[in-house]
Amino acid sequence: MAAPRHHHLALAVAVALLVVTAAAADEGGPRGRRVLVLVDDLAVRSSHSAFFASLQGRGLDLDFRLADDPKLSLHRYGQYLYDGLVLFAPSTPRFGGSVDQNSILEFIDAGHDMILAADSSASDLIRGIATECGVDFDESRVYGWCQDPEAMVIDHINYAATDAEGDHTLIAGDDLIQSDVILGSKKIEAPVLFRGIGHAVNPSNSLVLKVLSASPSAYSANPKSKLASPPSLTGSAISLVSVMQARNNARVLISGSLDLFSNRFLKSGVQKAGSKIRHEKAGNEQFVTETSKWVFHERGHLKAVNVKHNKVGETNEPGMYRINDDLEYSVEIYEWSGTSWKPYVADDVQVQFYMMSPYVLKTLSTDKKGVFSTSFKVPDVYGVFQFKVEYQRLGYTGLSLSKQIPVRPYRHNEYERFITSAYPYYAASFSTMGAFFIFSFVYLYHK
Amino acid sequence: MAEPESSTAAAGGSRLRNACGGVLCAFTLLLIGVLAFSIRLFSVIKYESVIHEFDPYFNFRVTQVAKFSKHSIVSGDCLCVHCSNILSKRFLGYLPFNKGEAKGTGAGLMAAAILAMVPSYISRSVAGSYDNEAVAIFALIFTFYLYVKTLNTGSLFYATLNALSYFYMVCSWGGYTFIINLIPIHVLLCIVTGRYSSRLYIAYAPLVILGTLLAALVPVVGFNAVMTSEHFASFLVFIILHVVALVYYIKGLLTPRLFKVAMTLVITVGLTYASKYIPIIASVSEHQPPTWPSYFMDINVLAFLIPAGIISCFLPLSDASSFVVLYLVTAVYFSGVMVRLMLVLAPAACILSGIALSEAFDVLTRSVKYQLSKLFDDSPAASGDSSAESSSAGTVSTNSAKNETRPEKTETAPKEKPSKKNRKKEKEVAESVPVKPKKEKKLLVLPMEASVLGILLLIVLGGFYVVHCVWAAAEAYSAPSIVLTSRSRDGLHVFDDFREAYAWLSHNTDVDDKVASWWDYGYQTTAMANRTVIVDNNTWNNTHIATVGTAMSSPEKAAWEIFNSLDVKYVLVVFGGLVGYPSDDINKFLWMVRIGGGVFPHIKEPDYLRDGNYRVDAQGTPTMLNCLMYKLCYYRFVETDGKGFDRVRGYEIGKKHFKLTHFEEVFTTHHWMVRIYKLKPQKNRVRGKLKKLKSGSKASSTNAAGRKKNPWQ
Amino acid sequence: MPRATSDAKLLIQSLGKAYAATPTNLKIIDLYVVFAVATALIQVVYMGIVGSFPFNSFLSGVLSCIGTAVLAVCLRIQVNKDNKEFKDLPPERAFADFVLCNLVLHLVIMNFLG
Repeated sequence: MAAPRHHHLALAVAVALLVVTAAAADEGGPRGRRVLVLVDDLAVRSSHSAFFASLQGRGLDLDFRLADDPKLSLHRYGQYLYDGLVLFAPSTPRFGGSVDQNSILEFIDAGHDMILAADSSASDLIRGIATECGVDFDESRVYGWCQDPEAMVIDHINYAATDAEGDHTLIAGDDLIQSDVILGSKKIEAPVLFRGIGHAVNPSNSLVLKVLSASPSAYSANPKSKLASPPSLTGSAISLVSVMQARNNARVLISGSLDLFSNRFLKSGVQKAGSKIRHEKAGNEQFVTETSKWVFHERGHLKAVNVKHNKVGETNEPGMYRINDDLEYSVEIYEWSGTSWKPYVADDVQVQFYMMSPYVLKTLSTDKKGVFSTSFKVPDVYGVFQFKVEYQRLGYTGLSLSKQIPVRPYRHNEYERFITSAYPYYAASFSTMGAFFIFSFVYLYHK
Repeated sequence: MAEPESSTAAAGGSRLRNACGGVLCAFTLLLIGVLAFSIRLFSVIKYESVIHEFDPYFNFRVTQVAKFSKHSIVSGDCLCVHCSNILSKRFLGYLPFNKGEAKGTGAGLMAAAILAMVPSYISRSVAGSYDNEAVAIFALIFTFYLYVKTLNTGSLFYATLNALSYFYMVCSWGGYTFIINLIPIHVLLCIVTGRYSSRLYIAYAPLVILGTLLAALVPVVGFNAVMTSEHFASFLVFIILHVVALVYYIKGLLTPRLFKVAMTLVITVGLTYASKYIPIIASVSEHQPPTWPSYFMDINVLAFLIPAGIISCFLPLSDASSFVVLYLVTAVYFSGVMVRLMLVLAPAACILSGIALSEAFDVLTRSVKYQLSKLFDDSPAASGDSSAESSSAGTVSTNSAKNETRPEKTETAPKEKPSKKNRKKEKEVAESVPVKPKKEKKLLVLPMEASVLGILLLIVLGGFYVVHCVWAAAEAYSAPSIVLTSRSRDGLHVFDDFREAYAWLSHNTDVDDKVASWWDYGYQTTAMANRTVIVDNNTWNNTHIATVGTAMSSPEKAAWEIFNSLDVKYVLVVFGGLVGYPSDDINKFLWMVRIGGGVFPHIKEPDYLRDGNYRVDAQGTPTMLNCLMYKLCYYRFVETDGKGFDRVRGYEIGKKHFKLTHFEEVFTTHHWMVRIYKLKPQKNRVRGKLKKLKSGSKASSTNAAGRKKNPWQ
Repeated sequence: MPRATSDAKLLIQSLGKAYAATPTNLKIIDLYVVFAVATALIQVVYMGIVGSFPFNSFLSGVLSCIGTAVLAVCLRIQVNKDNKEFKDLPPERAFADFVLCNLVLHLVIMNFLG
């Protein structure tokens, strides 16, 4: 796929030309650092200050705006003003300025990242954006005529014991995705507090991942009214927080709870109902920090450089191979750590030697310094081949490299010569030739 | 050749006459050459000098690599020369070929004249048709000629030449297997019918050894020359021939009863061979069989003359004439299997009808002459004299059938009377007449009226043939398939859509982009648009062709996946519905279905047929109306006239308003003959369900599900 | 059985007798043919032992022997005085053809050998 490569290329060019801000340029990270934060109430800025502080602490340049600010604009003169977006405006019916649902989606399709948080008052606008990203917030109010519009996730078993209101809408979630890339290598011990609406994702949608799922006992309904009909979303089908990585590697985090990011949840202790263990601090802080790192490409972003291939024993890259050549293929893969490019270590990167179908499929071995290499023999088939590396791993940006290379058959003078086992044949051929001369001589002069 | 008479009556004159006859022959050949040359120039006169068939683009490209020529004009013109050179060379080959059969120069010339115009050959060798078949047919005939020549003379020299011309054939065309199978069959036939001679051995054995070695030198053939079943036949016959030769040798040494045993052995082996050979023939059949009209179109009246030719070949059956018959029979079979091999049939048909015509003319003119001489009775002495004396020579000549050596003998015959210049011209015309005067007197005397009528009829027949050939050359086969014309009230329309489309491709797409189309257009796309294609006319990997066929017959989404996995960026279809161009992709579509279904069984031909009928109107099956080919061809078609009336099929199309979701129209030529679509890139995001929206979103979510299967993009 | 053996004996004897009558030049050719065929056989046996890896070498080796043998047989047929079919073909011409043919053969063999 060309898009991500082009993106990198464009980025590299931009870096070289110092068009982007110095902050983005100095380390050559995969993403710029300017983030637009849209809130529907400026109070959010203080109620969620811990989360914002952690972002700023990592070098992100936050620009707080009201969602209905009439001067709001994502780009100017054809350039995007921001590299990321934090959408903490769940109830806003429409954005101000030139921003609307389509411009947000274009922003993502241009390779930018977004964190979206909703709550039970989520507007159609927010729901629409989420839907476009493959996440369906609970829409039960449309179907159940008797239900209150404000459905929430309720869990009568796995609620947080600190839940003061007693309607079990404060959920202590601990069903997290098993992924070090998304959630960091340090395990999140404490449950994550959540209060808000649930959503569903299409299981066949490979781009969306459920990061925090509800427990089997959860359901989605309005806690204030009686349950008249079976809830439309139940059990672990409910996702509380999901992430989406688009095909151009833009990353989006969608949470059904804005409170999840709030200072209150970040700071509070947590005890799961029916559990003896009381955590001094909820898992929220670690959770939001790590996931935001992932969203803003401070982790799990791979780049492949220096794709090289050559014949064994040579260093120059040939323009063409011959069948049965032995060749070496190498590529350097690095991962962005947030501050620098670190060698990526894995044992499952594979290269294909491909013409309509893979003729060779080899796993690349790494030297732990970022260089992945292998060597193989060109198949005994000629044609236009491609070196293909298609590396798609959970949480990592996809790598899709392809390099075209023609393979030609032997030239007439390239076949192996003077093979030892063929000497009798040579001898025979020459002996018949010799015999021919002797014969001619004898035949002509025998009289 | 016909000089027995001269040996007695006019030996000195015979020399002169020989010379004059030679000059006349050469002159006739020259005329035929000019004819052959000019008849092939129609296309250059009518259209500009471009290479215009689908296949030849590949060849053109090959030479382009070699000498980077200035577009097609140069090569187009030089090819005219090329082709006709070959042709005239071939006539030279013909003449002795037929002479060798003791059928006379007349037959040779006649065959040459017929061949110069035979439409099926024109179709391949028209100026601008840059095709290796044209060369190959020459090589084929030349090889056969040399084989027959070797068979007649038993000279190792010709055997070597034969092997070399076989090499030439192997280089030029894959049809060389025809030679390497036909000749062994003939050898086997000769052996089985007891016509083995040491000349047969000399003609065949060195050919097999040298031919195999030379063929193995050609990279395309390589070890196939000894490894594949097509060639086994020749080796088997080679062995049989040796056994037989040994048997004959021993039989020559002494005559033991062993001989009978050996014969039975040979026969059993021969039968085994025949049974082995049948699947080989069957395996050749992969292209479409021709229709009867195409036989008539391509060989015309020759079809009626062939049987006569066969009969006259059998009258004195020699090795050579049996070879011609065998050639014809196999060629007819092959052309019945695969329309392209009509080309192989054409020379055989020409030879045989040449023989037939010249025999017929012989008989008729002779009887006219005889009748005349009887009528006027003014020179009874001369004619009676010559006929009486030549009768003995005539019988000798018929006995020894085909004698290359005979002319030599007559050359060395003693000269008696110096010159008879006064009747040289007349004699030349009648030269071929007195071959078997005695026989003629007894058997072939026809009444005056009948023979005159017969001659007239033959001339009319020949005239029809010429008219047909000229028409075929001018209209049917000169029209390049990439530039089309049509006549209408307001004059000549030129449809140059193909070149328009290729120019678009070469200017608007990336160099690395791959273009998928049905294989007929592969070479052209490669040569004119300079883009990589998935399958072209030279693709022998059936799976590749089948993959493209499957994609074209699949629904849009599945097709997108197939094309995407092949790295295809653009899809090109040829559509004739707007201008009424019948050989478009919709009409070829059933082949795509068949070939695709042959490899991928989920494509089933009956799904595309409504009650066995192939149609794209309202009665077309849903599979048909939803397949990619239909959609790409008829996308937006209804906008042209509001009804969607297809001028090729002659009805309104079945599904008029539809949208493309995975393909995007990027270019359509002026007459809509070529339409180019681009594969839409995969969506960056996958949408959720959006339950409250209309049913349209449902489809997109299933799309998302389907797309997931292909994780590489 | 004894009858058969005696028959065979007789056959061989008469064959030998008949062969003894062939002229010397034909015998030379026969010797040449035998040599070529023997070389070919040795190579086939060798191939059976070693395997057919340098297939082109094997092919050219064997085919050069067979080709030589075949051409020699052709020459033999042509120069054989007993053979009526080639009465008027001078032996010099036959030999020249033979040499030409051999040259072509060996050129091809040399090309194909490596």
